[in-house]
Parts: sequence; C-alpha cells; structure tokens
Amino acid sequence: MTLLLLLLLQSPHARLEGRVPTAALPGLDSLIEQAVAESLPTEPLVQKALEGGAKGIPVPRLVNGVRHGLVQLRDARAIVSRATPGRASLDGDVAAVAAALARGLDPGLIERLLSAAPPPEPSPGEPPGPVLHAAADLVAHGFPADSAAELLRAAQRQGLHGTRLLDVAVAASHELQREGGRTPVEALARVRAMLPNVPVASPPHPRTVTRRPGRGS
Amino acid sequence: MTVIDPRVQEALDGERDPATLPPELREDYARLTGAAALLSAAPATSVADRVMAQIREIRREAPAPRPPNWLLRPVTFRLRPVWTLAVAAAVAAVVFLPFREAAKPGAEEGVAQFVGHFPGARSVEVVGSFNDWQRGALALRDDDNDGIWHGAVVLPAGQHEYMFVVDGERWVSDPLAGRYVDDGFGAGQQNALLIVRP
Amino acid sequence: MTKPAPRGSPLVVSDAPSDSSVVAQVLDGDAEAFGIIIRRYEPGLLRFAARMLGSADAAADAVAESLVRAYRHLAQCRDPEHLKSWLYRITGNRCRSHIGRRHMSDIALDDAPPLADPVDTWAVLERSEQVALVERALAQLQPEKREAFVLKHVEGLSYEEMADVTGARIPTLKMRVHRAREALLLALKELV
Repeated sequence: MTLLLLLLLQSPHARLEGRVPTAALPGLDSLIEQAVAESLPTEPLVQKALEGGAKGIPVPRLVNGVRHGLVQLRDARAIVSRATPGRASLDGDVAAVAAALARGLDPGLIERLLSAAPPPEPSPGEPPGPVLHAAADLVAHGFPADSAAELLRAAQRQGLHGTRLLDVAVAASHELQREGGRTPVEALARVRAMLPNVPVASPPHPRTVTRRPGRGS
Repeated sequence: MTVIDPRVQEALDGERDPATLPPELREDYARLTGAAALLSAAPATSVADRVMAQIREIRREAPAPRPPNWLLRPVTFRLRPVWTLAVAAAVAAVVFLPFREAAKPGAEEGVAQFVGHFPGARSVEVVGSFNDWQRGALALRDDDNDGIWHGAVVLPAGQHEYMFVVDGERWVSDPLAGRYVDDGFGAGQQNALLIVRP
Repeated sequence: MTKPAPRGSPLVVSDAPSDSSVVAQVLDGDAEAFGIIIRRYEPGLLRFAARMLGSADAAADAVAESLVRAYRHLAQCRDPEHLKSWLYRITGNRCRSHIGRRHMSDIALDDAPPLADPVDTWAVLERSEQVALVERALAQLQPEKREAFVLKHVEGLSYEEMADVTGARIPTLKMRVHRAREALLLALKELV
C-alpha cells in the first residue's frame, strides 16, 4: 500500500522531473499552477509536457505546446459553461471538449452538441467525449458539420448514447464508400433510416494483415 | 461617473498623507475608507470542519491503480533508506511484467491492438498517453520477421494519443489509426487517436 | 535572555509555524496540519468571497471548494512563501465561476438586510444600516472592479500581491482600483 501511495501521490512537478529538460520546468510549473488556480484539469497539461519531453521537443516549443493546451482548456470550460448554464463544469467534460477543439471541431458545433435536448430517457452526467468524437469523425470524413450534428441528435433521441454514437459515425463513413461512392447527403440519409439499429463497429479494430504466402503461417 | 481628485487617489494609495488633503476633498477620502472599514467585519461562519471532513475523505479514498498504465509505467521516486530493499524488490516484480501477459479487461477497460508495417525495422514500440509517453514500456513484436509488427494491451476505456517509435529514434504516426490530432508543438506532427471501448 | 522591547513597541513573541513549514508538514503526510492553513486564512477568504458574491452561504461554498482544491494541489504551490496569494487566487477564480453561473443582484437582494428609508445624512444610520448600504453599493460594481477594491482596501493586499492573485499587471490593477473607487463613491452618493 505504501508503494501505491508513493506512486499515486506524485505531484505534477515530480512526474516531470527527469522527463523534460530542466530549463522547461519553471515555465511548465507556472502553467500547471495557473490551471490549478483556475480550477482547470491539470492532467492534460502534464501529459502534453511528458509527450514533449519524450519527443525531444526544444524547450520554447515544448512550453508553448503546453501553454496552447492551457488556452484550449480555458476555451473548453467557457464552452461547457455556456452549453450547460447553472451547472459546475466537471474536469472530465472540460478535458473532453478540449480534446474536441484539438481535433479541429468548431466551438459553436461543440456547444450545440452539449446543449442538445436530452433524449427521452436522459442519463444525467453522460460524458460528452463520445458524441464529440463522433462529430469530429464525421467532419473528418467530409460530412457537413450541421448535418453531422443533426444525425447525432437524431441518434440520441432514438436512445443511442456513449460509444454507440461512434458506431453511427462509422456507419456513415461506410455508407459513403458503398456502391462506388455516395454523396454525404445520401450516406447520412441511409444511416438515419437505420436508427437505432446501426451495426456495432468491430471491436477492438483488428486490422486485416496481409501476410506473404508461405512465411511462417 | 464621479471622478475622484487625483490627490484623493494618491492618499488612498498611501502615496500622500491624507492630512494634507484640502477640506473639500476629505469627505470623499473618509467615505471610501469608511466603506472599506465597514466591509472589513470578520465573517461569522467557519468552513474548517467541512473542509477537514472532505480532506479526511480524500485520504480514505485514495484511488486504486488502473492496470496496465501503472504496471507498464516505470516510475522513479525517492525512498527512505529503510524501505529501499523491500520496496525495490516489489517494484522490480511489477515494472517488468510483459504487456502481453496483461489480465483480461475489467469493466471500464478494453483491448487495444496495434499493427504497423515496418519492414527492416529492428524495433517498434508504442509510446503514448496510456504510458505517460514513457519510452521502452510497450514494444511490438514481429516474430516471423515479415515486417508486420503487432501487439495488444488492456487499456482504460476512453481516449488515448500515441505514436510509433521505430528503431528507437523515428516517430511515426500510425497510418491505420483513422483518427489524428495535431500534437500542438508547432511542427505539424500528428498523434494517432485511439478510443478504447469497454 | 531576551532583550527588552524597544520603547513604544509591543514585545511580540510568535511561535506560529511559517506557511512554508506547514506546507512541508502537509506534503509529508500530516493532513491535519492543513487545519492551520484553514484557520489562518479562512476569515480573509470568507470575507473576500462574501464581498464578491454578496452571500455568506455562497461564500462558504466557494471558500470550502477552494481550500479543498488547494489541499489536493498543494504540491503545485511553487512558492509556499506566497501561499496567501495562491489561496486568494484560487478563491477569486471560484468566485468568478459562481458569478458566471448566477445573477449577483438576486443574491444580494436575498441576503442583504432591509434598507433603511432614504436619509439625508450618513451619520444618523445605524452601523448595520451603513453596512447594508455599502454592501449594496459594492454589489453594483462590475466583478473586476469589485474584486480590485476588496483586495486592495478590505483584504489589504499590495499591488504586487494583487498581481499574483489576479494575473493582471500592476498598472492595470491601479486603474481598476481607481475606477472602482469612483464607481463606489457614486453608488454611495446615490444611496444616501
């Protein structure tokens, strides 16, 4: 138990020592302290700093990368506050929205998705990560943002939540590629018609591996 | 908007002796210092008991480790000398547990599979947020030397970012990931994004 | 043997532990020592939060949340010598979040004692009536100005400490305090 406590109670500074250049520590400490003072989650910033250290990023760009992360967390919290007025912003929600911003999702779209009317059987406190990633997946595949949001809201109204929304995005991208290619409008219409029975995407993404014949099979 | 005479502002900032203020300015000075004095009453409430109760609860509920993040992540920490031998043995047993022998996923975990085509590579490892971007913690295998490197690991459900590191020095985005995010360090490098489902 | 105190100044003997030593104690595992920090700073933090939020209950919530957060992240307080600024900073941010979620004027009306009838002179008011008037006048200030006035004149922070707490530059803070004084004076003149 002592070992567990020793490991789990490491401060951010202790986790960064030896993993990032010494010259970066004061700047990083300052940014993390700002996050603490502003009641923003600190783990995304610690992760970004560890990533930068592992990749050998030069100190100024490393610190700037973490600073950019802090700005995204602030923006994320503002979005969460606007979308869910009167409720305290949870660290997980703020981090999920920051991740969506990092994927290039439009802030206005994020806010609309967060504040969408609850489905017939609302589940209070449902994490926003899956619906935001599903939206980002759809946009990345070329679907218009508004149409993507509308499809996901339709899916939620029909009782699909959490990672099932990711299945909706996968189904839409598959429909886009069928029969020589469909337009985004056609693909979305076909998926909407399937709701709520979109197929579950194959977990955990076992990729088809082509092996050369006669080699060790 | 009432404009306060700069001499009153100076007095309020402690840069001028208020006794030197002309009589017609002393009322503004007195009114503001009086207001501050009225607002300085000590509060009747205390939150000490409530805060200490929460702190004791926090200490009781120190979270359990989530394999395999904790198992895979080599950590450094300072030990008091009397603990060193016993704890070092425990750490060695834990840190070197091969990832391919990880336990079956729990309720909030899933299996992540990694596959990469790197013919001629001497080593391929996965480095990402699930192992605190620690090098040397998650090596892929190419047992039949066909250039296809693969591995599977149990991870907590949710979002993870990662890259492959080939031959210990080349950072490569997983071309099969399907989801990417700019790493934010200004050089346009893309992390692969993995969403593990329970 | 102690030296006699200089004429006119009190002999001050203090064995209260410094903030740095208390922080070190807590980080070493003595969570109960955090009680020293609470007792040392909660009066000022509660007063600050009450002036920001216009409600003793809201202030208690904000300060309790802030102190728990400070405990959780105590290792991240880079300079325990500036613990006070750090605590005010966390509390100020909490108050801003609360303000963003609620309407300040509603809270002030709910919690403030009833106003006295309009009078010509301040002096005839009871002290409690004076406090109520000043609280109402303060509540009319925008949050930034309110915070600046309270930190400067109620909590007695220096401009350097205020810069630490708010993240704003000292010239900006001086301007805010000056504007806050003007706004408060106007509000007081309108109420009495």
